[in-house]
Amino acid sequence: MSTSKARCCVALLLIFGCANALMGNGNFRRKVSLELNPGLKPPSTAPPGVSLLHVRAVGGDDTLHVLLCSLEAPAVLLVHTNSTESSLRVDWAAFLRGNYTGSVQVAPKSSVQYSSALVFTRVWEYDDVNNTADMQDLPVSSFLPPYELRDFTWDNLNETVDYTHHTALLCGRHNTSSFSNGSLCLRFSAFDSEGREEEWPSLLHNADSCQLRLCLDRVTPRANQSRFGLELQAVSEEGFQASVDVHRSIDDEYTPSIFQVSQWLSPPANSTPSSTQGYIQWKAVAYRKSKPVLEDATPCRHSQPLDLPQAPPSGLVLAYFSKQASTRGLNLSFSMAGDASYSSTNFLSWTVLVGTGAPPADFFSLLVIAIMAVGLGTPLALILVGGVYVYIQKRRQDSSAYESIN
Amino acid sequence: MSPHFKFRKSDDEFLLDESVHRGGRPTRSPLGDPEHLCHRIIVLVFMCFLGFGSYFCYDNPAALQKQVIKDMRLNTSGFMQLYAWYSWPNVFLCFVGGFLLDRVFGIRLGTIIFSLFVCGGQVIFALGALVDRVWLMELGRFVFGIGGESLAVAQNTYAVNWFKGKELNLVFGLQLSMARVGSTVNMNIMGWVYKQVKTTLGHAGPTTLGTALMIAASTCLLSLLCALVLAFLDKRAEKILDKEQGKSGEVIKLRDVKDFPVQLWLIFFICVGYYVAIFPFIGLGQVFFIEKFNFTPTQASAVNSIVYILSAPASPVLGLLVDKTGKNITWVLCAVVTTLLAHMMLAFTFWNPWIAMVILGMSYSLLACALWPMVAFVVPEHQLGTAYGFMQSIQNLGLALISMAAGVIVDRRGYLFLEVFFCFCLACSQHLESTHAHLCFSLCPGGELNISASSRAKQQKATSVESE
Repeated sequence: MSTSKARCCVALLLIFGCANALMGNGNFRRKVSLELNPGLKPPSTAPPGVSLLHVRAVGGDDTLHVLLCSLEAPAVLLVHTNSTESSLRVDWAAFLRGNYTGSVQVAPKSSVQYSSALVFTRVWEYDDVNNTADMQDLPVSSFLPPYELRDFTWDNLNETVDYTHHTALLCGRHNTSSFSNGSLCLRFSAFDSEGREEEWPSLLHNADSCQLRLCLDRVTPRANQSRFGLELQAVSEEGFQASVDVHRSIDDEYTPSIFQVSQWLSPPANSTPSSTQGYIQWKAVAYRKSKPVLEDATPCRHSQPLDLPQAPPSGLVLAYFSKQASTRGLNLSFSMAGDASYSSTNFLSWTVLVGTGAPPADFFSLLVIAIMAVGLGTPLALILVGGVYVYIQKRRQDSSAYESIN
Repeated sequence: MSPHFKFRKSDDEFLLDESVHRGGRPTRSPLGDPEHLCHRIIVLVFMCFLGFGSYFCYDNPAALQKQVIKDMRLNTSGFMQLYAWYSWPNVFLCFVGGFLLDRVFGIRLGTIIFSLFVCGGQVIFALGALVDRVWLMELGRFVFGIGGESLAVAQNTYAVNWFKGKELNLVFGLQLSMARVGSTVNMNIMGWVYKQVKTTLGHAGPTTLGTALMIAASTCLLSLLCALVLAFLDKRAEKILDKEQGKSGEVIKLRDVKDFPVQLWLIFFICVGYYVAIFPFIGLGQVFFIEKFNFTPTQASAVNSIVYILSAPASPVLGLLVDKTGKNITWVLCAVVTTLLAHMMLAFTFWNPWIAMVILGMSYSLLACALWPMVAFVVPEHQLGTAYGFMQSIQNLGLALISMAAGVIVDRRGYLFLEVFFCFCLACSQHLESTHAHLCFSLCPGGELNISASSRAKQQKATSVESE
């Protein structure tokens, strides 16, 4: 499970650092354009609370389509095609009528290389009477009825889409008093090149990925020691792995005090092709304030993924995927034993990256490499130079000593 | 005049140089003879307990953190003020203390005065708790600080006076070990003392806290007693050995500071560069072990405290090693490099942190034994207090600043960056140390600092023969 990155010695590290800096694919760019409710022509409009955001990211010889949809449970769908001409087709009449099958397609179908979707299906709430923050060892009686995200009322995306920065904010509420002041929001970002956001956890993203930040803000807890959890479902034709890889990383410069990256890869390891086609990646941390300092970080844990017999309740997933697509789900729980409950801050945020290709891996920043190079390099060089100098001096002295004997 | 030359001149007037005053004195029992090892051991015992009280009481607030916060109704930052009142004034006051030691009081009176300050400070601190006044407690810590740090300077100077050219490195090792024992005993016993007082008085509150702290003040009395005994023994030795006659009569002037030899400044900065990579790291260590190595809080605090625990038994042994072999510079270099390796292990690997922390503990002890005595080789005796005071002041300043910086670094850039920063400090320290070594070899080949123990002894014999 844990990486062998740990064992790299400094020399290697420096070489890798330079290599990374010189040849990294950080300059790969896509041309990104956003469109809300593509193909929906007036006078017909989407009913309130239903939005479909289409991100078209065109590369040199391929296109990545990313869709964010709030029809029932919120979902994000990635479709990677090997053509720059591929396009999205939505049969709005069928899609909105609930006659989903085949109503969302990427054409030509033969150009599609890989597609996967991530759906946020449920928010768990439990009364953590023993203060263990472990959702898996809890008696069933501690669980309060979960909030089904398919039942949420979602705001329209058209007010929050930022066409220049490629972001959108999708907020929704359950129609109970718990959400009278509160909300669950998903902040969606698409990217045209490699980089990382200023805000923690500052995940490294690239042009083949998009990011979702889930915020649970000012929800009224239904118990004294309430904590929240999250159910995720991932769908793809090839399926996702039956376990989540947890990589330990020595580098916490971008996410202070967090040394773990979790990656849920697709397709399963034993399938063909064997190389990773898609991933869901997150760091084992959630934050308890919207502008967090280090003390507001709290760990996040995940359960083993389970096979699910049916597709998640998302209009987008039902409309795009065929019946053969496989679905796996897992639960996330936040905070650790002894931590204060949700009500201490009334806020929780967690960030996840969804993408195609190999998941991005952090590497030392140039600043760290530079400090190490100067700090260790200078004395090393001096010792070498000094050593050579002393050696030469000694040789000279020795030889003169011999001469005097002669 | 080069400082080295100056020093050699004063070397033959050295207090316990056995060959100087050989003839014509009545023989004494080994215990009463200042030149004899047995007598020095007795002196050493008092010297070690001289610092015990201040080390014990320094960490009283930490040992009673919960009780202090509850009884005095403080928050954490208010509690931390108790330490701030100790450390910030000492960025400057150690230097003053050291100078006063050299110039005004002399070592004997100075030590007694500083011990009195320590005692008084602790009593005021306890009184503040008894009458339930936080400002009085802070004042107590301030007074305690004036005494405590300067007392450490006095302790170092005493050590050099009695043990230079003999078991000096061992003595420094023992003093470090005693400091550690003092704070460990405090950590383990004060909670118990508080509980006993609480049972006797029947309730917890400022009175209970004050009483417990008063009891702790008894250790300061013990130290004061040691200061008095040491003064007596030192006076006696001076009389017996006619030390006064050999004195050069030189006194330190403030402007001598700017004429401190380059080597001394290098030693100062090596000291800062090294210690900032130790103390602030240990301050932040517990969370680091929890987050990076998935330790439980108990495991984390155990591995975090191993450095101090290890230094208690290790430093006398390592001190003896340095005594036997000489070559202080090489040992310091060795300590800095191993510390650097330990930090790199913590930064770049997931190896069990016990390995790195044990190495860190050993090299920390080694450095304390080898670095501090070096000061005695580069400054003349009448400047020693000032030099040690200055060293302590610079160290305090460095620690105060770097501790703040370290907190900010962790908050903004995380632990890897912090470790890299520490590695950089150590690398600078190592760089200075190699410069130092280079200076010493090129300025005075065969100088005092890095000669082996046997040649140091030979040299001493030669100079004493000359003087006779």
